[in-house]
Amino acid sequence: MAGIKNWIAESFPVDQEALIKLTAEPIPNHLKRWWWALGGTPLYMFVVQVITGIMLIFYYVPEADKAYESVAYITYTAKFGWLIRSIHRWSSNIMIAALLLHMMRVFFTQSYRKPREMNWMFGVVLFLLTLMFGFTGYSLVYEQMSYWAMKVGTGIAGATPLIGGWIADFMRGGSEIGQNTLTRFYLFHVVLLPVLTFIAVGIHLYLIRAHGVTELKFKGDENKEKKTYPLFPDHVFTELIMVSIIMVVLVVLSLLFPAQLGDPANPNVTPLHIKPEWYFYPVFRWLKITNLTLGVLGPMLFLAILFFWPFIDRFFEKRFPGKELGFWIGIAGMLLINVFLFWEIIGH
Amino acid sequence: MDRRNALKNMFAFVPLSAAFAGLTAMGIRFITPIKREVQRRIFTVHLEELPVNATRKYKDLMGKDLLIVRTGEREVKALSTVCTHLGCTVYWQKDKKEFYCPCHQGRFDKDGNVLAGPPPRPLDSYKVELEGDNVFIYFKDKEG
Repeated sequence: MAGIKNWIAESFPVDQEALIKLTAEPIPNHLKRWWWALGGTPLYMFVVQVITGIMLIFYYVPEADKAYESVAYITYTAKFGWLIRSIHRWSSNIMIAALLLHMMRVFFTQSYRKPREMNWMFGVVLFLLTLMFGFTGYSLVYEQMSYWAMKVGTGIAGATPLIGGWIADFMRGGSEIGQNTLTRFYLFHVVLLPVLTFIAVGIHLYLIRAHGVTELKFKGDENKEKKTYPLFPDHVFTELIMVSIIMVVLVVLSLLFPAQLGDPANPNVTPLHIKPEWYFYPVFRWLKITNLTLGVLGPMLFLAILFFWPFIDRFFEKRFPGKELGFWIGIAGMLLINVFLFWEIIGH
Repeated sequence: MDRRNALKNMFAFVPLSAAFAGLTAMGIRFITPIKREVQRRIFTVHLEELPVNATRKYKDLMGKDLLIVRTGEREVKALSTVCTHLGCTVYWQKDKKEFYCPCHQGRFDKDGNVLAGPPPRPLDSYKVELEGDNVFIYFKDKEG
């Protein structure tokens, strides 16, 4: 045994001291609150997505006339296929919901402030990547909703001023939705977006480690002697409990509401009740009440504000000190999104 | 958290690990291709067209070659022509009433049993049924 241990230590040298230092990163006490485990949730969901996604590729065929059939095979014939697909689908929904909550938490605790502006921006990039994952993902099923979502989605991109035409053609791989579009969406979904996400997550985590977690003061924390606790094993345990709970939720949701399969894509018939996934509802409603240019520019402006928010917030803080303008703008933005979201839900 | 507490907490994750193990098992089951085969009874040849000791080449439903051999007045064999050694094609030797594999000199009798050479097991055989003078063979087929 000692021989093997020595051999491993020799051929794979690990600096024990450095490892302990790296994993025992002191973490402020407020992270023991559950609200603070939300940043890890999307990461865990991403891992679930990668694993179940790789499994789905075992059977998925990215060909226009076979894609739907292969999804049907996964759903109805392959052993536990319905479960794998349902978990893939539900974890994407939970990932987006957890991301939204995480962003809200960071926003309202102003954790994006100097020196963490860059990390907020990478966070927004990750949010966008996740939405693109969602969009390209449900397009791959190649059912009616997928087809018409691709049609509408690339149409929206096409309405972008100046470069819209090029973007739409690039996404579709031509002027019409077809085999090229499916190939491209498949490539985006299983290669480009995962690679970009891995890189962005890496930078996001590195920046968290480099800056440390924002220290926040809470009532009751003043009396505690220790201001921090170690990442490993203490915080890792907290995260593992979170993982357990979410796993139960994921499986229960998949059992009760397994992923469905609609009619196969038919380029000649637009379904009567077409709607995207819930996370696109606000944009979908916005598109219904504005003209196309405004419909496209609105969300873009929203994303631009979100992306540059740390600087906008700083500007407000300098101009109107103590007024907490950023907080109220955040509340107003959330209200607006919720109005559009519920308007769309009720509108169905 | 000291080592003792950490170990104690670890026990809390026994059910979690069990659940992961369960999901992993399901995952492995998922990526393992389903093998569900059905047997189909198919008419192949009429005895009048197949004199004693004569053979007839045939392909099964999976596209594999087989040889139908009339070994007696009312005895017909259907054997795979794929040698069980390394997959070369075996030949029926009329005079010796044997199957012969030219690659490594494997020999099989009329029932496909190994007589000589390196083949590790008998030739794969198909179930044959005579109905009057009609020869029916049971072939494996993929379901659906």
